[in-house]
Amino acid sequence: MKKRIYYWVYEKYIDKPVISKVILETKVMINILMAKMRPQESFLILELSGSEKQIEEALDLLEKYGEYEDIPKIIEKNRERCIDCGACVVHCPVKAIYQDEDYSIVFKEEECIGCKNCAKICPLKAIKVFDI
Amino acid sequence: MKTIREINERIKKGDAVVLTAEEMIEVVEEMGPEGAAKEVDVVTTGTFGAMCSSGVFLNFGHADPPIKMMKTYLNGVEAYSGLAAVDAYLGAAQPNSDDDIDINYGGAHVIEDLVAGKEVRLVAEGYTTDCYPRKKVSTTITLDDVNQAILVNPRNCYQTYAAATNSREEKIYTYMGTLLPEYSNINYSGAGQLNPLQNDYNRERKTFNTIGIGTKIFLGGGIGYVIGEGTQHDPDKAFGTLMVKGDLKTMSPKFLRAATIPNYGCTLYIGIGIPIPVLNEEVAKACAVRDEDIEVPILDYGVPRRDRPVVARTNYKELRKGEVTIEIYDSDLGRVVEKTVKTASVSSYKKSREVAEELKKWILNGEFTLSEPVAPLGRGSCKPMKAEAKLVRDILSRPPIVAKQNISIEEAARILTEKNINHLPIVDEEGRLIGIVTSWDIARAVAQNINSISEIMTRHVISSTLDEPIDVVARKMSRYDISGVPVIDKSGKVVGIVTAEDLSKLLGYRKF
Repeated sequence: MKKRIYYWVYEKYIDKPVISKVILETKVMINILMAKMRPQESFLILELSGSEKQIEEALDLLEKYGEYEDIPKIIEKNRERCIDCGACVVHCPVKAIYQDEDYSIVFKEEECIGCKNCAKICPLKAIKVFDI
Repeated sequence: MKTIREINERIKKGDAVVLTAEEMIEVVEEMGPEGAAKEVDVVTTGTFGAMCSSGVFLNFGHADPPIKMMKTYLNGVEAYSGLAAVDAYLGAAQPNSDDDIDINYGGAHVIEDLVAGKEVRLVAEGYTTDCYPRKKVSTTITLDDVNQAILVNPRNCYQTYAAATNSREEKIYTYMGTLLPEYSNINYSGAGQLNPLQNDYNRERKTFNTIGIGTKIFLGGGIGYVIGEGTQHDPDKAFGTLMVKGDLKTMSPKFLRAATIPNYGCTLYIGIGIPIPVLNEEVAKACAVRDEDIEVPILDYGVPRRDRPVVARTNYKELRKGEVTIEIYDSDLGRVVEKTVKTASVSSYKKSREVAEELKKWILNGEFTLSEPVAPLGRGSCKPMKAEAKLVRDILSRPPIVAKQNISIEEAARILTEKNINHLPIVDEEGRLIGIVTSWDIARAVAQNINSISEIMTRHVISSTLDEPIDVVARKMSRYDISGVPVIDKSGKVVGIVTAEDLSKLLGYRKF
């Protein structure tokens, strides 16, 4: 299974290889979708894949060094405003937006990691991003 | 052979055969142009894209006491009112007069709000006369309150448009949308096989078969007319445009929408649909145009010049697939490599379809009949502006003062003070640019006790070339917040430097 989370590393562990430790101890696969290092904490968006047990173990371990949160629904297409042009599609780093056969823009909301690239470039301001 | 009058008779009786341009492709393939011309009466077309050259003439009626409006603002967006007392023209691309709002709410947004029935703040000032004693007016209006709101768009409905990509190492913001670095996306615009002018274009004669002055059209969800060829109309190069008008009061936000192209400007998306009467075989043949028949050049918008280099040629069918493979020169590898690049549309094919379908419905219902054009479109013209560009070679400080990497901080400081300059390009044995040191870097070196040039020099140097326009160099300076740009030749050798001082002298400002 796959699980996507927001993860904040506590200040005192910022310079420690926390993610490597979790991978080595639980053998879970981790894809770092985004990472921001700040003096007080570092923020990451992680995609964990493995068995249910592995993911549970990984989350327990991650909790020792920081806090995690499930990724909530972040983007929403405003159906009234969207003109289905497709300008947003290439700006999505995780292919959460695609254009179907009828040229309609479809959002796979569960895939979104909240980078906001799409909302920034949308000419019609038709994409609502819920703040983290 | 049919006449428009005969077709209108059939529309009124409910007997007309009406197809969209997409449907017509198959019919012509099956029956041939001759058979299709007998069978089909009208082909409906549609396009829905950003059309900056759009705007609306408004007449507000007279206030009491009356005012001659000279500066007119609608929700903070200026409308041109150097016309009669209470007439104004609001352009779609006009930004807000409030710099904080700027392009996020401009002329196009006011037009959309008016169409949506919203209230709009009108503020106007004028000079006083015996007949117009009032100096200022401030009120709230809606579309119902104005006498006329006539959309008059000087250039709409482009027959086709080149696609855009970006060779630079940085992201750029253009009217074709946001272009990622190093050819990472291709943005395109246009309805292709559904576009009105494509379907009416006579490829042999390089003219338009049926569209002329007075052609009745679908405009923004209401009824409009073609009032002539648009600006930059160039039928010889299959690059036609239209000037159109229509009553804003009949339009709908479904087919008229304001937009902001990030870091570029505001614009108006409009749906335009034109019915093509299938009068003969020639007309039917033109209506069979397919996406794959329309060549689209891909231009490099990384080059900020009028004539942008063509990176590759493709067509609308390939572009709509979502990726195109192009050949580009990889300077690291020193050879041409293939790159598969994602494509994105900045106009809406789905909406274009809706326009063509809606117009088809109107005609089938008998509510929309065709008009007889009163004259063909003019030949138009699309030539460049007669304006000289000042190039870097015209203002260059020469010979270049440069230094090698192994000089000491003291020597660098001496060169800067003796030559009275602030920028010292650092070059290798062959004179090729490898870095730059500024007087500020020297100050930092002294303050932090740094002893070598290589530790303080900036290695990623923003540079220019001899044939670059000085406007482009000025933009580089402001974008990167720098005051000196070394000029290099093809081999990377420094041939001079352009500084902010050189540019300000040119503008006639006082030297600091």
